[in-house]
Amino acid sequence: MTEEEPTPADVDSDQDVISRILAGERDAFAMLIGRYSDPLYRHALGMTGSPDVAEDILQTSFIKAYHHLGEVRGRFDAWLFRIVANGCKDWLKNIRRTHLSYDEDDQPSTFASPDEDLDRTELRQDLDSALAQLAPSLREAFIMKHVEGRSYEEMADLLGTTVGALKMRVHRAREALQTLLEEKYD
Amino acid sequence: MLDRPEAHDDRNLGQDLPQRDAAPVADRPAADREVPLPGTAAAEGGPALVIHQWLDGETSEADARRADDKQVDLWKMISAETDQRRRMTTPAYVAAIIMAAIPEARTEMKTATATNIATGAMVEPKAALGTAMLMMLCAGIFAIGIVIGTML
Repeated sequence: MTEEEPTPADVDSDQDVISRILAGERDAFAMLIGRYSDPLYRHALGMTGSPDVAEDILQTSFIKAYHHLGEVRGRFDAWLFRIVANGCKDWLKNIRRTHLSYDEDDQPSTFASPDEDLDRTELRQDLDSALAQLAPSLREAFIMKHVEGRSYEEMADLLGTTVGALKMRVHRAREALQTLLEEKYD
Repeated sequence: MLDRPEAHDDRNLGQDLPQRDAAPVADRPAADREVPLPGTAAAEGGPALVIHQWLDGETSEADARRADDKQVDLWKMISAETDQRRRMTTPAYVAAIIMAAIPEARTEMKTATATNIATGAMVEPKAALGTAMLMMLCAGIFAIGIVIGTML
């Protein structure tokens, strides 16, 4: 008897996993964390620029999702993405309200590595700084398109807006970044 | 950086988003205007528009380079950085923290039931022993009472 690779049909759908959790199999929640934590972490990191804040938002979002699992209607991944995206926007609102900006503590420390090329580190910092100057909706669109590698259709699906509107956001984000970066890198 | 085929992940597609999560139309920012603002690259067309088309995977790098070679170089640098960020993963301890933070409630119910079943066998002999001792104590008091009664 040969051991066969699991087919996609063998992998539990999100809804199956949720049903198991609701039936009392708490540990099955780890499966959902494993499926979605990486793209959501990248989103939170791109939006906030801080690994610590991104981790906090991710933790809070997953815990919130666990408590409201019974309320999921439709796609779990889109529902969860909305929780994380709202968490990022709330954080950005709060940081503006308290007159805090991207100080040293909020910089993405995990991007920096002593072994890496200095030019690259510099570009990294400049890109973070430029991204921090974009309006949240433009930053969100740029991050989803260029960091998360999503299609416009997928973005429209997740954000509940049109492909045309998102193309405009991404184009405006690129133009703003280009203006901020081209002087130095032209 | 360019539009990727793997981004078209159809996992769980076909189900609607919860309506309560949809952004109200009135709240949409001015950045959503699909009519290009005057003075922007999209409104003017030309080299900048070709760069956007290249970044969206709609035209080749050669076309983009013909339009604006320097912009292509800039976006290639940015692309290398964003590609690296796309490979970032969640720190391993985050999942453990989340799992530790979620309540045991559902498991506890099962555990409690199992515990009750398991400890029931231990509790009952203790209760049986207690009753026997009480009966012996009562019998002893009763016997002492009889003895005292006969003495009087």
